[in-house]
Amino acid sequence: MTAPFSPPLIPRPAAPEAFDRLDPRVFWPRRQDWLALACYAVGFAVMHRLAAYWGGSGFYSLWFPAAGLRLALLWRLGARLTPAIALVEIAVDVTLTPAVLAGVPWTVAIWGIARPVLAYGVTVAAIGWLAERRGAALLTAPMPLGLALVLAPLTAVLSAVPQALTSPELTGVSGPREVIVSLAAFAVGDLLGTLFIAPPLLWIADAVSGRARWRWPLPSLLAAVETAGILGLGIGLARLLDQAELGMQPAPVLVAVAWIGLRFGRAAAWGALLVVVLRVLPDTAGAMDTPERLQRHLALATIVVAGYLAGSFADAQAAARAMLERRDRLLFQAERLKTLRAMSVAVIHEVSQPLSTLAIEARHLHRLTAGRGDEIADGAALIDRKAEHLATLIRRLRRFGGHAEGAPQPLALTALVDMVATLAQAEAREAGVALVIAPVDPAWQVMAQEVELAQAVMNLVRNAVQATQGDAAPDPVTLGVTADQGHAVIHVVNRAPARPVARDGMGIGTHVARAIVEAHGGTLTRTRGPDDMVHAALSLPLIETR
Amino acid sequence: MPFRSPDPAAPGTVHVLDDDADLGAAVARMLTRQGFVATAFDDPAALLAAYPGRAAHAVVTDVMMGEWNGFDFAERLRSLDAHVAILFMTAWPSTAHAVDSVRLHGGVDYLDKPIDEARLCASLREGVAWSTASRATARRLGDLSPRERQVFDLMVQGHGNKAMAGLLGLSPKTIEDHRAAVFQKTQTQSVAQLIALSR
Repeated sequence: MTAPFSPPLIPRPAAPEAFDRLDPRVFWPRRQDWLALACYAVGFAVMHRLAAYWGGSGFYSLWFPAAGLRLALLWRLGARLTPAIALVEIAVDVTLTPAVLAGVPWTVAIWGIARPVLAYGVTVAAIGWLAERRGAALLTAPMPLGLALVLAPLTAVLSAVPQALTSPELTGVSGPREVIVSLAAFAVGDLLGTLFIAPPLLWIADAVSGRARWRWPLPSLLAAVETAGILGLGIGLARLLDQAELGMQPAPVLVAVAWIGLRFGRAAAWGALLVVVLRVLPDTAGAMDTPERLQRHLALATIVVAGYLAGSFADAQAAARAMLERRDRLLFQAERLKTLRAMSVAVIHEVSQPLSTLAIEARHLHRLTAGRGDEIADGAALIDRKAEHLATLIRRLRRFGGHAEGAPQPLALTALVDMVATLAQAEAREAGVALVIAPVDPAWQVMAQEVELAQAVMNLVRNAVQATQGDAAPDPVTLGVTADQGHAVIHVVNRAPARPVARDGMGIGTHVARAIVEAHGGTLTRTRGPDDMVHAALSLPLIETR
Repeated sequence: MPFRSPDPAAPGTVHVLDDDADLGAAVARMLTRQGFVATAFDDPAALLAAYPGRAAHAVVTDVMMGEWNGFDFAERLRSLDAHVAILFMTAWPSTAHAVDSVRLHGGVDYLDKPIDEARLCASLREGVAWSTASRATARRLGDLSPRERQVFDLMVQGHGNKAMAGLLGLSPKTIEDHRAAVFQKTQTQSVAQLIALSR
């Protein structure tokens, strides 16, 4: 079962972290947001106008594409833009249809425009917050987006309920039936808008910004035939029922798009839904009485929600399966690494034994020939030096390859940095990246499991080296240690790569490093400065040294 | 075979034990150059068999030697000679072993291979000095009669003559005699020196 084409996964809305610290400035648009907001104003105006063709009394439209645009923007740039988007919509509405202000107090009119935007913003923020916490199967990407597409319109409708009940005259409806019709129409219009407009906009945005690799392999012929066949069958059956005077029944098409979604994912589901919508919308535009149109659109919304959620679920399943496969590969790799480690420990042992003899004899030879000042003396000195170097290397390698068990012990950061330097220099040299190591105060000590902590720092250095190695003239990676207020901070700094490249790495280096550091009672932060330097800071409590 | 302690006047006598004969020989030669009287062995059993005839101040032993474990060897050696300094060297260092070697097996040091020469020599000198002092103390205390030994033990615990007389059921005069004998045999002049000996 393969997706005919795979849109990028949009795991969760952008920048949910903004809500962890409640600083009002968070809501102020950033420099790069202004262009998006300007485009939004234009797009919103156009779509808002377009929607009027499916309008009716007591509600604005049964097909409201602007809602999709709004959700896409919120999802992409973060719920923090909610106030800004609300202001844009107010401005556009008041400019294009000054009549909205007529007959009602202006505060009520403004609130009426801003309320759905706030409801969307709250939904996106809540789903982002939940997706951050993971755990729930329903929140595997791309399910969060699917849920947001469905829940945001419903939240907006719920938010309209109090006003609709207490002062229905504001929306020009009277009687419970009309209130229900009005709210249902609102929900249907927004649902169709979000489910239809937001996903393709987000796919395009991702493809353009290069955030996701856009793969568009030709759908397999069989899959295309199956999709077309099922959809044709569904639509045909629906028409048959209609001709048998059973009314427009959504069930056959619903089953068809759900099937397509479950089999081939969101993109295929969306394509099938597009066909359905393009068949329905032209018929329902313009002159058609409201109950008939509402019924058609309700049926359409049912189909769209089911189809899109089925597609999202299939994609989430595929993503989960891919992750499982990746974990399997990782496990396999870990198994191989274990063997490799056993081998390397054995090799180190086998080497250290003869090397002991060699080092002793080389030193003796060096001393014996020291006064001669000839080639033999130079040779002996060189051999002695190399043997000593090898001996040091072997000692460090052995410490690193040793069992990563045992209680944490006081560890001098000089020793740690030395060990990492020994291991990382060779890799950095091979990658053509210079590794600059700042001197470390020998008095600084932390409580640590040496091998594990070395692994954590090693992972950070390796990431930094890999990030820069693609550049034409890679800047050096620096490794340094500072200390203040009872904490030692190990810094790994590299220039952000000019072009982010997808690498072979499993991307678990940082996770492993973070897990190790947190087990040591420390923290790991990565920040990207305005100077484009990526800065990983590993902070650990210092211990008192005598 | 009578037990022959190393000659106290001679420089440090060291046995080097490693199942890698080349390494053992190299270490022994290096130690010889550093002024030790060093002999290499590559078989723990052979060393244990030969030891009573040629005891050493110190033994440098590998920790893993075929079926022999350096720590078992150290136990056996210690039972032959309580005054020999033992140093361990290993290609498989571990913190647990390092602690055990010093705490449980009375090792002077625990070195990982490749050997750090300067550290080995420094530790050996320390070990030889300790062994020499330990033997001298044992010899001096060994000359005491059982009664004198009892008096020695009580003296180093800080008991006065009268108290000792009471405890041992002897007259103070006899205690005086034993006391003088202790000082004479151990070649000491004060209780402080005796206390130093007892440690």
